[in-house]
Amino acid sequence: MRDATAPSSLAPKLPPPERRTKAAQLRKRLWRNKWLYVMLLPGVLYFIIFKYLPMYGLIISFQDYKPYNGIRGSEWVGLEHFQRLFTEPDFMMILKNTVILFALNLFIYFPVPIILALMLNELRGNFFKRLFQTFVYLPHFMSWVIIVSITYVMVTMDGGIINELLVYFGFEKINFLLNPDWFRPMYILQVIWREAGWGTIIYLAGMAAIDPGLYEAARMDGAGRMRQVWHITLPSIRGVIITLFILKIGHVLDLGFEHVYLLLNSMNRQVAEIIDTYVYTAGLRQGQYSYSTAIGFFKSVIGLILVMLVNKLSKKFGEEGVY
Amino acid sequence: MKKQSFILILTALLALSVVLAGCGSANNKKGGNSAAAEPAATTADNGANPTAEAEKPTEITIMLPLNTSETPPDTIKAELEKLTNTKLNYQFFPADTYEEKLNTAFATGSLPQVTYLKNQTTFIQMKEAIKDGQFWEIGPYLSEFPNLNKLKPEILNNTKVEGKLYSLYIGRPLARQGIIYRKDWADKLGLSAPANVDELFEMAKAFTEQDPDGNGQKDTIGIADRNELVYGAFKTVSAWFGTPNNWGEKDGQLLPEFMFPQYIDTMDFFKKLRDNGYINQDFAATSKTDAVNMFTSGKAGLYIGGSMQDIDSLNKDLIKNVPDAVLDTHSMVAGPDGKFAQWMIPGYNNIILFPKSAVKDEAELKKILAFFDKMMTPEVANLMYWGIEGTHYTVVEGKAKAADNKELIEREVKPFKDSVIGEPETNGMYESYNTLPGRIHAEELIKENVKVGVPDPTAALDSQTYAEKGVELQQLITDATYQYIYGQIDKAGFEKAIEQWKSRGGSKIIEEYNAAR
Repeated sequence: MRDATAPSSLAPKLPPPERRTKAAQLRKRLWRNKWLYVMLLPGVLYFIIFKYLPMYGLIISFQDYKPYNGIRGSEWVGLEHFQRLFTEPDFMMILKNTVILFALNLFIYFPVPIILALMLNELRGNFFKRLFQTFVYLPHFMSWVIIVSITYVMVTMDGGIINELLVYFGFEKINFLLNPDWFRPMYILQVIWREAGWGTIIYLAGMAAIDPGLYEAARMDGAGRMRQVWHITLPSIRGVIITLFILKIGHVLDLGFEHVYLLLNSMNRQVAEIIDTYVYTAGLRQGQYSYSTAIGFFKSVIGLILVMLVNKLSKKFGEEGVY
Repeated sequence: MKKQSFILILTALLALSVVLAGCGSANNKKGGNSAAAEPAATTADNGANPTAEAEKPTEITIMLPLNTSETPPDTIKAELEKLTNTKLNYQFFPADTYEEKLNTAFATGSLPQVTYLKNQTTFIQMKEAIKDGQFWEIGPYLSEFPNLNKLKPEILNNTKVEGKLYSLYIGRPLARQGIIYRKDWADKLGLSAPANVDELFEMAKAFTEQDPDGNGQKDTIGIADRNELVYGAFKTVSAWFGTPNNWGEKDGQLLPEFMFPQYIDTMDFFKKLRDNGYINQDFAATSKTDAVNMFTSGKAGLYIGGSMQDIDSLNKDLIKNVPDAVLDTHSMVAGPDGKFAQWMIPGYNNIILFPKSAVKDEAELKKILAFFDKMMTPEVANLMYWGIEGTHYTVVEGKAKAADNKELIEREVKPFKDSVIGEPETNGMYESYNTLPGRIHAEELIKENVKVGVPDPTAALDSQTYAEKGVELQQLITDATYQYIYGQIDKAGFEKAIEQWKSRGGSKIIEEYNAAR
């Protein structure tokens, strides 16, 4: 739902009224730009079919949906499922966990690709740059299962290399996998490990478009490397950063179900259960269709509100929003 | 869409009348018993038009969980179609996410004619829909099929819903669980198989502390366990301690197992094991693969789990790493009171349902049942369970000996193996011919286990609340159990979790089960 930004209309300002009616004008204008509209069609269809029509299914979050009765035949229960969600003893915990993971994503993960891209950009010699780039991209192509499994092997208390090293240097073993305090650091480190390199692509593209003349001029004025980065590179990619930031917010509660689910266990559930994993357990495994739809609905509404908020903010600061 | 399905029905009806007409000229070469069943199905149409043609193969679509990594080639399916005169459309879905697939297919009304569930839990979740009449009741037809009629009544009873039978079951030995352990280590340290839980503890201790692999380093552990209470070590050991099987009776009332003191004793046992380092420290986060690896790499000495029959595969991988390792099985471990007990499954590990949305009428249902009736002949059952004789297995002393090419069997046969209904006693397929002494021992123990078996008293009972919230609620207890073992909560904390379980619906479950008795 959060992607449901309607394609902006191409309508230019109306010319001063003439003899013809507005309708006729419109028709003429449509006809003149017919190929543009035809090209627009697949996109519009995509959004209608895959984004708007499925919203019909949201009805079941207000029903006691039984598959064999269908949407028409199921009993209407109003807000019962939302009531259940908000009064669920674990609701606050799940919401809190979701928000904290999201905040980690936003404040710890988000700047990493920018810094990494700046560093890559400063590298001399194309060979090293390419080599290094390839290395940092690679983890993106591994699935979460592999990332989490590699982590398990490295940090397990039963012979994992990290714990062995800790013991070797005279420290206590640390229970990375089961200790709730370690869940969030592990989560965000894995996100950085897998995604940071990939995240640099767009920034690097933005940096490549900067006019080299600017740097030259800055050097003439005696600006050092850091000055150049601060006064030229960063301002030049500011638009990119803000756009990506808004898009990231749009995915506010999409924290990667697979990733969290793989890290989740009985010992860290207090901090690791998030909306997505809860929907999976309650909805898909237990078959509570209406209830899980209600949760999903709730999640989308939050996402929508946040996107609108941030968009507004960004316009206030004179940047372009996503709509 | 509408038109299409109409045409489909028409074709089905047409095909049916041809079959019914052809029925008189008994054209069944193999499995003559099914021919005996079919005339019963023909009452009205019989003799209407005697234009007998060759019987057209029945088309059946089947959805089932896949326990291997890829869908099998058509080797077995082609043979199967020939033997049963069917055209089969097998839809395999990975077992890991099967619930999801099942629920989505159900929600969209696209379950196929033959729907395999995944396990007991999925069955319980479907009960509401079954009661609502979404699936065919097959009880009344069973007597028409001589082979299906052989299915064990006590197990069929466990799968009934409100006293009516809707499903066929895939049989499993009642109690396969036990210990697989390093006999060479035990011999070296002068230990015999543990006769009671204290000796089991001592064995885990000795395997950890006394350097059983003789490399001069303290780098072994006693038990390799994983993040699974039921099919890992916990439930099996809890039964030895005398904990009831899921539910037990106390003062005339049915109560869940975790309200019994023996459950606490079992948790204490595991807590002690973990505190002392006799079990892998991270077992609450260890996957089955990792636990198995720990054992097969020669690091751990005891593997307690859902099936002692796993010894074959464990042995295969272990001797690659430790060539002179010797494994054995054991299950007779007495509790603190000196008594033996083993938990038992209700005799099936999965069931099959026939959705009314896909099976349009009685005649179609009977044709599908006829297919399963043939599946219960030795010829077909062997094909599906063991594969093709000479390729996948050979017969030795009246038993089937699996071929050495395990990968081939895994790829071509295993997916079908898990879908055979009944068990060797009822469908007449070969028992397995074993060469590994530990496996032969396991088979004996499986028979012994049943003699002291504890059934689940709620197996045939019904609880609406359990069907709705059972999985979610069980999670509370599972979490609390691990937290207790890891020392994060104490007994009071565990009691609190039980109170939570009760207040969130557990009390209702207790009520409903007791009322259903």
